[in-house]
Amino acid sequence: MDLTLQILTSGLLLGGLYALLAVGLTLIFGVLRVVNFAHAEFMMLGMFGAYWLWALWGIDPYLSIFIVVPGVFLLGVLTDRLVIQRSIGAPEVTVVFATLGVSIFLQNAALTAWSADIRSVTTPYGSAVVELGSVRISVPMLVSFVVALAFATGLWLFLNRTMFGKAIQAVAQNRDAAALMGIDVGRVYLVTYSVAVAAAGAMGVLIAPLFSVYPRVGLSYIVTVFVIVVLGGLGSVVGAVIAALLVGVIESVVGFLLGTAWAELAYFLVFLAVLVVRPQGLLGRRGAEVYQ
Amino acid sequence: MLGIEHVTVDFDGLRAVDDVSFEVAEGQVVGLIGPNGAGKTTLFNVVSGLVIPTRGRVRLAGEDVARLGPAERSRRGLGRTFQVVKPFGGLSVLDNVVVGALTRGQRVGEARETAAGILTRLGLERFATTTARSLPLALRKRLEVARALSTGARLLLLDEIMGGLNPTEVNETLDLLESLRAEGLTFLVIEHNMHAIMRVAEHVVVINQGVRIAEGTPEEVTQHPEVVAAYLGEPHESA
Amino acid sequence: MSGATPSTARRAVRAVGLVLLLALLLAVPALLDSAYWLDLAVMVLVWAALASAWNISAGYAGGLSLGHAAFFGVGAYTAVLLFNELGVSPWLGMLVGAVLAGLLGALLGVITFRLKGPFFVLATLAFGFVVHILAVNWRGLTRGAAGLTLPFDGGPQNMLFADLSTYWYVGLGLVALVLGVSLWIERSRLGYYLVALREDEDAARSLGVRVVGCKVIAAAISAALTAVAGTFYATFIQYIDPASTTQFELSVQIALVAIVGGMGTALGPLLGAVIVIPLGEVLRASLGGGPALAVYGLLLVVIVLTAPNGLIAGLRRVGRRVGVATGVVR
Repeated sequence: MDLTLQILTSGLLLGGLYALLAVGLTLIFGVLRVVNFAHAEFMMLGMFGAYWLWALWGIDPYLSIFIVVPGVFLLGVLTDRLVIQRSIGAPEVTVVFATLGVSIFLQNAALTAWSADIRSVTTPYGSAVVELGSVRISVPMLVSFVVALAFATGLWLFLNRTMFGKAIQAVAQNRDAAALMGIDVGRVYLVTYSVAVAAAGAMGVLIAPLFSVYPRVGLSYIVTVFVIVVLGGLGSVVGAVIAALLVGVIESVVGFLLGTAWAELAYFLVFLAVLVVRPQGLLGRRGAEVYQ
Repeated sequence: MLGIEHVTVDFDGLRAVDDVSFEVAEGQVVGLIGPNGAGKTTLFNVVSGLVIPTRGRVRLAGEDVARLGPAERSRRGLGRTFQVVKPFGGLSVLDNVVVGALTRGQRVGEARETAAGILTRLGLERFATTTARSLPLALRKRLEVARALSTGARLLLLDEIMGGLNPTEVNETLDLLESLRAEGLTFLVIEHNMHAIMRVAEHVVVINQGVRIAEGTPEEVTQHPEVVAAYLGEPHESA
Repeated sequence: MSGATPSTARRAVRAVGLVLLLALLLAVPALLDSAYWLDLAVMVLVWAALASAWNISAGYAGGLSLGHAAFFGVGAYTAVLLFNELGVSPWLGMLVGAVLAGLLGALLGVITFRLKGPFFVLATLAFGFVVHILAVNWRGLTRGAAGLTLPFDGGPQNMLFADLSTYWYVGLGLVALVLGVSLWIERSRLGYYLVALREDEDAARSLGVRVVGCKVIAAAISAALTAVAGTFYATFIQYIDPASTTQFELSVQIALVAIVGGMGTALGPLLGAVIVIPLGEVLRASLGGGPALAVYGLLLVVIVLTAPNGLIAGLRRVGRRVGVATGVVR
């Protein structure tokens, strides 16, 4: 029983981590109708931001997060203005390959600047563990989980209880109608994209004490996050959170039983199955993804 | 030739079509009229297979086509035009029509000849090599008809093919319809232009808010109190 | 200008141009005296074939696949395994690989034909990853990351040539094959249907165009041709592993080459290969792998935002202006 609980808990915590990425990605899709292939690269940049601030000036990630996240936010603004907004409404090949190109560029720019060396951030709490009953929980994971849920909750409140949040929802539902009602669609796009990638950057900072930092690290996450986002329904924040937790648990369980490689295979097949059978996922809006 | 039986279409709580039934006999020209948003185009979408009805059946030449998609229905002799025209913009006018001709089973060379013939029939032969997207609206509407004919369809659903045309163009289109009808084609025509309906339709079905409210000859229907009420404010002239 | 003259002149110019081009292509091994450049040239042919094959799925049928490396791998591994385990000549192995890949492509097409835009892309991405993971982990079959070597056993009957130039000529044949299929599709019933589906799927269906059939056939042809390129690659390099055949980066590069050159045209992907592959090699040699790929990424973004129809569109415009200026074109 202890082992099951342990695996489940690790899974949930992992899911929380994924949630921070998934929520941003699903929001970008829901509002801008763009699949942000470069999403995990912003996480990678967050990780490197945390790493360099720690390596050069000894700043702890839990402090540097307040510097790095705004930095990633600004990068998001830049990317949105230069690339993303130019690709909206463009032929499909542009929409897909623009963010893919950004992804390739960021990965390899990082590779060029910082080499492929695998780095890590060591903190006093990096391997700290807390015991809740019979379950051992890694402190950084717990912190990340809490932050992720806080972010998701905050985002939900923002979307549903503020004017700008409602404007974002309006644009997601019907861009033209929103524009006709005087909503500055460009600004909505900008804020949505930048906040979403800033969240990815935040996740990067939070896991820097835990996982290795290297330019290609995004690749290990991006496909999982795609699976989560599709599973939860592209555009649904709540769906993304639920799916993230679900996938975290599945990954933890299957990984324990079969090993990571086969776990990966398993959820790609699940992913394909979902795309075929119920492409709108758990909570998404039907129609955006399939020809009737 | 066409049987619509108790067709109901619900879209997420909005009932677009409510228990509509009527028939179109072979060789007839039937008009389908009603105010904007009455559900006429939705009905067309149901008949042509783009929308699956919540309830009800569609029969083409007696056959229940529920399991057939638009492509299969087209190959059973059903043709349609779209209210908002959908030309293959990047293709030439000729190639637009070739696509339909190919589905008859003809080889490319043959299909091109068939298509050229149809273009001539509709007075579009001058534009054969013009890119479809550069055509003005009136010609695009005619291209829609040409394309619908290219498949060899025997039953044609025409959705407001006279919308936006000037009186001369309307008369040309009506002449074309009559000559096609003389060849034995069957038509179900959505039209707002009452003059056109009066002239060419022998039978009219009136839809309002998804419900069939009247059916009969054009004269009968235009005097029907409910129809007049539905169209309140809409002027019409009899031939 | 009367109708007869420009047309005859145009045909004459085109004929002369083609003959010159053909002569040039045949003379390449003589012109490039170093093995390094000839090697690169053969790789350009491989990528030209790959991009062309991808174009059949993505350019003509509108299915932007990011999983095509999977078919490349199927072609490569099928031929190598059949040769190593059963002594079957790679020429035959190539056919088997093509059929297998074709079936796989058809299956993928059936699964994904209803998916729009990014959903289709994601599905092909997942598919590509599945095949890659299988290639890496099914060690009993593929020896995993260790890869497989194709021993230099026997000669031309096993698609193994002592002379590098022969690979060039066979490669030309490969490109000619894919180009030929592309041109045939463009002029055929399938080509018309595919364009119609791309332009307006609802209108096409209303005319009787069967969506699934068309997309599946295009997917199968695209996959099969990709596999053929894979077999050729295997006999050329004589060593294959998942990293060089089924990896995601390869799928991206295939797409990049086709897009830069010009999707939806028969010649675009060829142009793309001629430009992108040597460029990549030069960048890699002078700046290193990382910077080269960073440039690739930037190139992709720039092309896709400013010239989504690829460089061939620009080239056509220039060609037309030259033609008009010299009076060959009206």
